[in-house]
Amino acid sequence: MRRDLACSMLTALSLAIFLVLSVTSAFAQGQPEPAGVNPAGGGVPMRSLERLKAKSAGPAPRTADGKPDLSGLWGPEPKFMGDISNALKPGEKLPLQPWAIKLTRKRLSKDDPNASCLPSGIPRQSPFPFKIIQTPKLILFLIEGNVHTYRQIFLDGSGHPKDLDPTWFGDSRGTWQGDTLVVDTVGFNDKFWFDGIGHPHTEKLHVIERYRRPDSGHLDYEVTIDDPGAYARPFTMYGQSPLLQNTEIMEYFCIENNQDVAHILGKGTPAKE
Amino acid sequence: MGKDKLGMLVGVLGLLVVVIPAVAHHAFVAQYDPSKSTTLRGVVTKVEWTNPHARFYVDVKDTSGKVTNWNLELASPNALRRLGWTRDILKVGDEVSIFVAPAKDGTKMANARTVTLSDGRKMVAGIAAEQGGAQ
Repeated sequence: MRRDLACSMLTALSLAIFLVLSVTSAFAQGQPEPAGVNPAGGGVPMRSLERLKAKSAGPAPRTADGKPDLSGLWGPEPKFMGDISNALKPGEKLPLQPWAIKLTRKRLSKDDPNASCLPSGIPRQSPFPFKIIQTPKLILFLIEGNVHTYRQIFLDGSGHPKDLDPTWFGDSRGTWQGDTLVVDTVGFNDKFWFDGIGHPHTEKLHVIERYRRPDSGHLDYEVTIDDPGAYARPFTMYGQSPLLQNTEIMEYFCIENNQDVAHILGKGTPAKE
Repeated sequence: MGKDKLGMLVGVLGLLVVVIPAVAHHAFVAQYDPSKSTTLRGVVTKVEWTNPHARFYVDVKDTSGKVTNWNLELASPNALRRLGWTRDILKVGDEVSIFVAPAKDGTKMANARTVTLSDGRKMVAGIAAEQGGAQ
C-alpha cells in the first residue's frame, strides 16, 4: 500500500517534471510565457514588456529644480487601447451624445486610422513603450507606436497660440501644480479615434492630463476629456504606466509593410453603448 | 503529489501556454478567425522582418500534391525582439509547422500563433483572439 502510494507519487512527480521541461523547452530562446497575462488587452506586444518592468525602488527622483522627474521609459496602459470606458471609474459610462453613439456603432475596424498607420492622438495608447524626456521648459514624449512619433509639452509659461490648425496631437502647454504635471491641450483635428471601438470626438476637444510619479517605478495619470461637441459633460479616466528597464524605444514605422486593411472585416469589438 | 495537486499543476501549465493577445494596430477578430485555427506544415519561401508585422511565406502541399503559398503574419519586430526572437530564426528553406488563425476573407493569409521550427523549438509568434482586440 505504502509502496503503491510512493509509486504513484513518483509517477506524478515525473509527469510534472516532464511537463515543466516540455513547457520550458517550448519557450526556450529567452521568451518564457509570463504567467500574468494582462486580461485587459494589448496582446503579444504587451506580453513582450511584462518581464521588462522595473522593480520600484523608493521615491521618485527629482530634477535640479526640485520637480519630480518624470523622465524614463514607460510601459503602455491597456485601458487606453480597445475601449477607453475601461479607464473610467467602475460603474461609470461615457457620456456620449446620441450622434456619437450612432457613429461609434457604425464605425468598422477597417476605417480605424490606426489600421492605416495614422496617429492615435490623445488619449489613445498602443501596446508599445513611450519615453519622457523632461527639461525645465520643455517635456518631450517619444512614442514608439502607433505611429512612431513625438509630443512636445511647453512649460515656458506661454499660452496656446491663436488660430491653431487642427492636428492629431494638438498644442500642449504644461504647468506644475505641486508634484503634479498638468498638461492642457487644444487644437485637435477630429480624425483620430479615442480607441479601437471608435469613440469619436470633435475639434472642440480639450484634454487636461495630470501626471504624477508616486514612486520610482510608476507613472500615474488622470485624463479629463472636455468635448461639448460629442459628450454631454466632461469625464475623467485613470491610468498607470510601469517603468521599463533593459529595453529602449525601437522603430515602428507601421506604413512599411501594412497589408492588413484590405482584409479587415466588420468590427473587432462591439460597442458597449 | 496528489491527483488534485497534479491537476492544478497541469492547469497552471496549461494557462501558461494559452496566449490571449491582440495585434499592434488593427482589430484581430475583424481579420482572423481563431475558431478555425489549424496547423500548416511547409517550407519557408520568404521572410519579411517589417512593421507593422513581420511576415513569412510558406509553401504548403495538400494531400493531392498541390502547393499553396501562405502569407503568415507575426507580431511586430519590436515585440518579437523583446520576446527573444531574432530576425534569422526563420530562414528560407526551413521546414516549419505553424498553428494559425486563418483570414476571415478566405485569402491564403493567416496569423501565426505558434511556430514550431525545424529544430523543434516552439515559438510564440502572433496572436490569439481577444476581446477588445483593436490596437
